[in-house]
Amino acid sequence: MRRTIGSTSMMCGIARISPFFLLGGLLLAGTVAAAENASSRGDDVTGAWTVEQVVASLKEERQTAVPFEEATYSSVLTEPLISRGLLRFTPPSRLEKEVLEPYRERYIVEGDLVTFESERKRVKKTISLEDYPGLRGFVEAFRVGLTGDAVQLKQMYETALDGNREKWTLQLRPRDQAGQSMVDSIQFSGSRGRIGTITIRAPDGDRSVMTLSRKPAP
Amino acid sequence: MSARRWVPALWLVVMACGIWFATARLSIHNELGDLLPEGSTATQRLLLTQVRTGLSGRLILLALEGAEPDELAGLSKLLGESLRADGRLGFVGNGMQAWSKEEQALVIGSRYLLSRTVTADTFSESSLRSSLEQRLDDLRSPLGAMIKESVPADPTGEAFGIVQSWSGWDGPAKYRGVWMSSDRARALLVVETRAGGFDADAQESIHRAIRASFLDLANARGSLARLIMSGPGVFAVEIQRTIEAEAWWLSTAATAVVVLFLFFSYRSLKLVLLTMIPISSGIVAGMLAVDGCFGFVHGITLGFGITLLGVVDDYPIHLFSHMTRHDSPQAVARAIWPTMRLGVLTTAIGFASLLLAGYPALAQMGLLALVGLLTGAFVTRWILPLCVGPEFAPREIRPGFFTRGDLPARGRVLAPIMLVLAASALIWSDTPWWQQDVGSLSPLPESKKQLDQRLRQELGAPDLRDLLVIEGRTVDDLLEQAEAAMPQLEGLREDRMLAGYDIVSRYLPSRRVQQERQRTLPDRAVLERNLGAALKGLPFAPGLFAPFTADVEAARSQKLVDRESFAGTMLGMKLEALLFQQQDRWVTVVPLRGVADRQQLAATVARWRDGSVRYVDLKEESNRLMTAYRDRTLQLLGWGIAAIAVALAVGLRSIALAGRVLAPILCSLIVVTAVLRGLGEPLSLFHVATFLLVIGLGLDYALFLNRPEGTKAERIRTNFGLLVCSTTTILVFGVLAFSQIPALHAIGMTAACGSLCCLLFAGMMARREAHAA
Repeated sequence: MRRTIGSTSMMCGIARISPFFLLGGLLLAGTVAAAENASSRGDDVTGAWTVEQVVASLKEERQTAVPFEEATYSSVLTEPLISRGLLRFTPPSRLEKEVLEPYRERYIVEGDLVTFESERKRVKKTISLEDYPGLRGFVEAFRVGLTGDAVQLKQMYETALDGNREKWTLQLRPRDQAGQSMVDSIQFSGSRGRIGTITIRAPDGDRSVMTLSRKPAP
Repeated sequence: MSARRWVPALWLVVMACGIWFATARLSIHNELGDLLPEGSTATQRLLLTQVRTGLSGRLILLALEGAEPDELAGLSKLLGESLRADGRLGFVGNGMQAWSKEEQALVIGSRYLLSRTVTADTFSESSLRSSLEQRLDDLRSPLGAMIKESVPADPTGEAFGIVQSWSGWDGPAKYRGVWMSSDRARALLVVETRAGGFDADAQESIHRAIRASFLDLANARGSLARLIMSGPGVFAVEIQRTIEAEAWWLSTAATAVVVLFLFFSYRSLKLVLLTMIPISSGIVAGMLAVDGCFGFVHGITLGFGITLLGVVDDYPIHLFSHMTRHDSPQAVARAIWPTMRLGVLTTAIGFASLLLAGYPALAQMGLLALVGLLTGAFVTRWILPLCVGPEFAPREIRPGFFTRGDLPARGRVLAPIMLVLAASALIWSDTPWWQQDVGSLSPLPESKKQLDQRLRQELGAPDLRDLLVIEGRTVDDLLEQAEAAMPQLEGLREDRMLAGYDIVSRYLPSRRVQQERQRTLPDRAVLERNLGAALKGLPFAPGLFAPFTADVEAARSQKLVDRESFAGTMLGMKLEALLFQQQDRWVTVVPLRGVADRQQLAATVARWRDGSVRYVDLKEESNRLMTAYRDRTLQLLGWGIAAIAVALAVGLRSIALAGRVLAPILCSLIVVTAVLRGLGEPLSLFHVATFLLVIGLGLDYALFLNRPEGTKAERIRTNFGLLVCSTTTILVFGVLAFSQIPALHAIGMTAACGSLCCLLFAGMMARREAHAA
């Protein structure tokens, strides 16, 4: 057991927060001010496709709800686990990941608080994000996202952008140790202001691939 | 060589040695716990053990406030880190505390013995199937990576369950990972000190360290946040320091006033200095006697004992007041000695009753006063006259006020009037007779008590008042009883009769329960068969659960967990506080939180399991303890007065005269009680103890006033001496009456009033023929 029992127990019994979800939220969400800011910058730049432009485009084309399908690959499993659901953003800062299949579960982030609801486990708990030091980076990334601050995103992650406006891949590697212990890298791929997949690799090689639907949720 | 030279010289040498010994060797304690009695019932002994060393007494509540929530949270984190590095602190909670490596190892290694969810059904095919499906959900969930490692060895999630049940109450709400009040105005922390709450010196150094850490952090960050500390240890230090500070300035003020007054009365610096000889000798001798008997002198004993010794100051005043140009000091001392001797003897009987009170604090005080009194009297009789010197010319008392001499006696009719007034005040006052609430004796301002209550509520810390107590012959016997009480406790919580509880069985199961759990563990073949069936169709890697089957197999014959298993951990400390040995029995306490209705709870608990579980309201119990000591002191006071009456009758060779000496004192006690009641002060142990001093003073006055004296001049000198005596007493205790500390106030008020009343009544009731002569 690598982590302390205290935090593990909180994870297990009380709530789980999703780095996936948070980053999904980051890219799904955005403030109008940030979008304007970034789009005006985007107009100035010609040719080169930059992180700033990715963030700006994401905000321009943001949707309030996106269906997803997530596949979890793990060394303890012989085949990936699949779950499906919806990512939702309610301005100004409420984010929600709702799992619909194979069981119903909801995670809601508002500010520092995360509410976890599970039908199968019959729990509803609210906890503070900071109980999870490993998630600290994600939380900050989420906040940065809300303010549309690509500069700060770069401060927290090593960013590498490949491809062009039509087909791009943005890879983030956490700079701080707490983040590194949780995540090796997060990779977004998409086209213009839309994300196609988010792949998160754990340091031990396990990974999760979340595919976002093109269609907006009904 | 004349005695006049070597006696004072010898006295100086003896005093110098005494003072040297007192400063160099005397051990002066400041721990309030040392003054607590042993307790006469099991419940009282338990209460006192709890007070001395109990967990709740060792908790310090901290709050950071006066800044933005984010800043408070940051400070709380840093403060928590720096305090955790302090070896004097056992546990530091701010919402971020984690389990230690030892505790993790214990939980993981003994999970099948400790987990309350382990039953025979846990390892059935269907239960395993459902556990495995849950683990799949966990893996699929966002933090699957963190859970993953525990899955192969603990697919049923026992370790998680244990930790969850150990986390006890939920604690306060969190903000940015640390405990924060719901309005986010205060970041909250709890610190457990290893030192007892009443160990004021240890507590104070810890408090200082905490404040210093906080200030360093706040200054480094330029924060304006404030640190607030509360809890029994904080209060103990505060009370102690208040008493010390007040005692210091009050005694300085009183000494200054008395010295000025004596100088004004005798117009001689030499006499004023000479007055100090008996009392200083008495103090030194008393201190040495207490140290010899008890092995230490308590700071508070010293303060109060010296106050009682104030009566010694009257002896040199009598001596000086009776001195004339014609008589040598030795002759005067010889002349007044029979009266003084009787006064000393009877006062000594009064002080001796303190010795028998069975309350260490009072016994120390009584011994100090008794030895000091005898020494002071001895010094006045045999040493002081030699120090005065033959060439000394006392001041002639001018005729005037004192030539009327028997002023008090003229007010003879006043005595019945005062008694009638007093009686009516006693009968019709609304003030309760006795101070029943120990809390009101505490010098803490109400605002601090409220702050403590508020922090306690916000933190969800036990409120130090309500306990369940279970006793047993052995630890295991006790644990089985506690286990049996758990469902009932849970019922109380569900019925909202209490908000929460902490019980030893939550952490440590009895041997029987552990053995039962071991018996329910399936053997390897059965487990592998069930597991194989449960795994059908699930995508777990083959052979993944080998650690699980191996651990279950090992647990079947594993060494049972006992108290020692927890040694050296935070939980171990907690267990020590919850479970301890008292004489030959084991006792466990169950601290309760948020009791709704104490009477109802007591009645409910009394019906459980033939009364083996007792409910104790610590506050009620300490009130009861205090009342018991007060009653005992009162009883001794009665016996003391009876003994004094007999001594007087024998000493004066006349029952009528003894009655005449004793009557004014009894009248004074009645009037003083009436005055206190009239002022709305219910009587406490301190008032009752001070009655002894009043009796001592009154005896002195009455004896001297009833002394057969030949001349009018002598009578005037007696009156003058008594007036000086009583005025000094009234001044000293009058100053004490201004103290903020309830105990000092009570003593000052009682003694000042008592001294005045004794003088008045003694004057009014003095025998007529004496001054008719």
